[in-house]
Amino acid sequence: MKDVMGVIYTGENDARLRELTMLRAIAALPVAGRYRIIDFLISSMVNGGMRNVGVIMQKNYHSLMDHLGSGKEWDLHGKHDGLHLLPPFLTRENVGVYSGLMDALRSNTNYLLRSKQEYVVISGSDLIYNAHMDQLIQYHIDSGAEITLMYTRDPAMQREDTGTYLTVDESGNITDMEVEPTHPTQECTFMEVMILKRDLLRSLVDRGVAHGQHDFMRDIVLPMVHNPGSHINAWEYTGVAWWIDSVQNYFRFNMDILDIGTRGKLFLDDLPVYTKVRDEMPALYGDNAVCVNSLVADGCIIEGTVENSVLFRGVRIAPGAHVKNCIIMQDGHVHSGASIETCILDKQAVIKRNARLTGHSVYPIVIAKNVVV
Amino acid sequence: MMTKKTCVAMLLAGGQGSRLGILTKTVAKPAVPYGGKYRIIDFPLSNCTNSGIDTVGVLTQYQPLELNAYIGSGAPWDLDLSHGGVFVLPPYQKGKVGEWYRGTANAIYQNMAFIEQYHPDYVLILSGDHIYKMDYNAMLNFHIRHGADATIAVREVPWEEASRFGIMNTDTEDNIIEFEEKPKKPKSNKASMGVYIFTWEKLRQYLIDDEADKSSSNDFGKNIIPRMLADRQVMVAYSFDGYWKDVGTIESLWEANMDLLATPMPIDLHDKKWRIYARNTGYVPHYIAEGAKVVDSLVTEGSVIYGNVQHSVIFSGVRVEEGAEVRDAVIMPGAVVHRGAVVHRAIVAENAEVGAGCIVGEETGNIAVVGHAVKLPAGVKVTAGQQVDENTTF
Repeated sequence: MKDVMGVIYTGENDARLRELTMLRAIAALPVAGRYRIIDFLISSMVNGGMRNVGVIMQKNYHSLMDHLGSGKEWDLHGKHDGLHLLPPFLTRENVGVYSGLMDALRSNTNYLLRSKQEYVVISGSDLIYNAHMDQLIQYHIDSGAEITLMYTRDPAMQREDTGTYLTVDESGNITDMEVEPTHPTQECTFMEVMILKRDLLRSLVDRGVAHGQHDFMRDIVLPMVHNPGSHINAWEYTGVAWWIDSVQNYFRFNMDILDIGTRGKLFLDDLPVYTKVRDEMPALYGDNAVCVNSLVADGCIIEGTVENSVLFRGVRIAPGAHVKNCIIMQDGHVHSGASIETCILDKQAVIKRNARLTGHSVYPIVIAKNVVV
Repeated sequence: MMTKKTCVAMLLAGGQGSRLGILTKTVAKPAVPYGGKYRIIDFPLSNCTNSGIDTVGVLTQYQPLELNAYIGSGAPWDLDLSHGGVFVLPPYQKGKVGEWYRGTANAIYQNMAFIEQYHPDYVLILSGDHIYKMDYNAMLNFHIRHGADATIAVREVPWEEASRFGIMNTDTEDNIIEFEEKPKKPKSNKASMGVYIFTWEKLRQYLIDDEADKSSSNDFGKNIIPRMLADRQVMVAYSFDGYWKDVGTIESLWEANMDLLATPMPIDLHDKKWRIYARNTGYVPHYIAEGAKVVDSLVTEGSVIYGNVQHSVIFSGVRVEEGAEVRDAVIMPGAVVHRGAVVHRAIVAENAEVGAGCIVGEETGNIAVVGHAVKLPAGVKVTAGQQVDENTTF
């Protein structure tokens, strides 16, 4: 059961996340008041019994390293295996910038080689889910497939111009697959999570690279789907999931989890989500505080009005300030008389007295880290 | 290899804290929850780590299970070290003899071997009874500067309360000339905080002598300190003027929680230079629902509020349902206040449930307590000062 390792690839395109990923990898994006995206991915792996998790880092990985540290929060700091941070490095063959998952895996061949586990689960990092990985692993082993892809039938997960889409028959076989179509025509969305044998992964990557291929899904998996000699399987994830690949989607995720039912489907009792601890005191509400339909983390001081918002640790809302439909990251400060609506404040952003800002849910205003408005 | 620590701390956590009534029926007093996310022991442990004292023995005896689990490896306080760290020290068998800790001094006596491993110059003795932030290193420097054999931390208390404390009478140079336990007519208002620093070589000898004295009750306050004073050892009082609150009774525990809601907060828990560390629960941020009202309160991660919360301290994983009213109350981890219930001037202990429409506590009088994991049936009334446990019938 524990013969599985995890690899998280964090090199996705982040252009549509604008200022939010200027200084950090998508995986390090703060979400849901106290987490970062990668907390969900690593916790799923750890809850699924994985004790060896590698994080392939690409650019702006400082915040990611800072957050993950020794892996202690996920119990990945033991003497055997544990958390492996894999930053890009320059070698004669490798210029340090990966051109995709396959290139990234090739550059980390040594890590794959050194690991002992029979199976590898690979996950992307621009999405949030909380999966029973043990079920995926068992399903894969029982089916005898070469590769099993995790997918969802949630129509909200379909995107234009990007992603991989599948048609899956009743017994879990993939009968058709399309990669990055302009408009998806197949109802199952691949969730960038797959499982296969470590040896197979190594040989597929070697072969792909030797043939000048660089897109793992299009060049490797797609031909296998159409090859009758290969067995590519699919496992349905029936939980909740969100792509965090644009400011709009980032905003929507945070607003979605204000709903207690949705939140309950993401934060499951048997699949706890672990994160780095910051020792803050409980949130303090002032005499005239008004706070409704909001998630509030420890260390906040709320003296003004907060509606439909997500407040991260250490946020201060001054008396007379009004905050509606906002996401305010760690240590943000809204001064008195200021009124903000549909805004995303990055860490330590400050809204000065009486300032007024109103965004729109399809285009929330993003205030970058440390910016004073 | 000789390994050395300048100062080792010994935390006396064995007391039952019987004045906390049903709150300490299943847990030791230092493990009692406080301030929304802490336990009492987080304060001395955080003070140690913030003061640079990284070797702490925690002497446990009464209901140690929860305390042991809470302390664990010591990681939350950065006390999981390869040399030093935090150690739970229960009484143990020695040869054919095994015995309980008979008194505070005896507890240290029985763990002399633990202390000697580190060859310390000084030993800091702490208790798990108070909420305070204190730099023990400043006190140690004071001890060294005065060339003292013992330094006792003191805090000025209101004169009318002085007769409830151990009182230190000092000269103008901070030398302790007399110690009076709960004097009827106090000559000073400098109360001992139960925080002592001893020069280890000295204390070691006094512990051995005290142990040999069959008439001794083996207590620091009753025996060791009076003995050292009688022998004219150099004993000085170290004055502390920060927030210091005994949480030894239901009323004082409740008051200490309410103190956190005063403006400005008398003990600054936001202080980033002196954080109070705690074992974190890993819950999601707390959720305040549409229609809920939360004012003048502390609320921590993992709780869900649908009702009305006023001037209260809400711990992790608490649920306050629609139409419920919580005022001037302390709701401990995992407790539930069901629909329409009113909790006022009360402490609801861990995992307790206040049934729909219950009324717990009153406008005046003593604090009402709903005990650990007690499930109050709907519509029940708990009066001021009443303590409800699983044997209470309605």
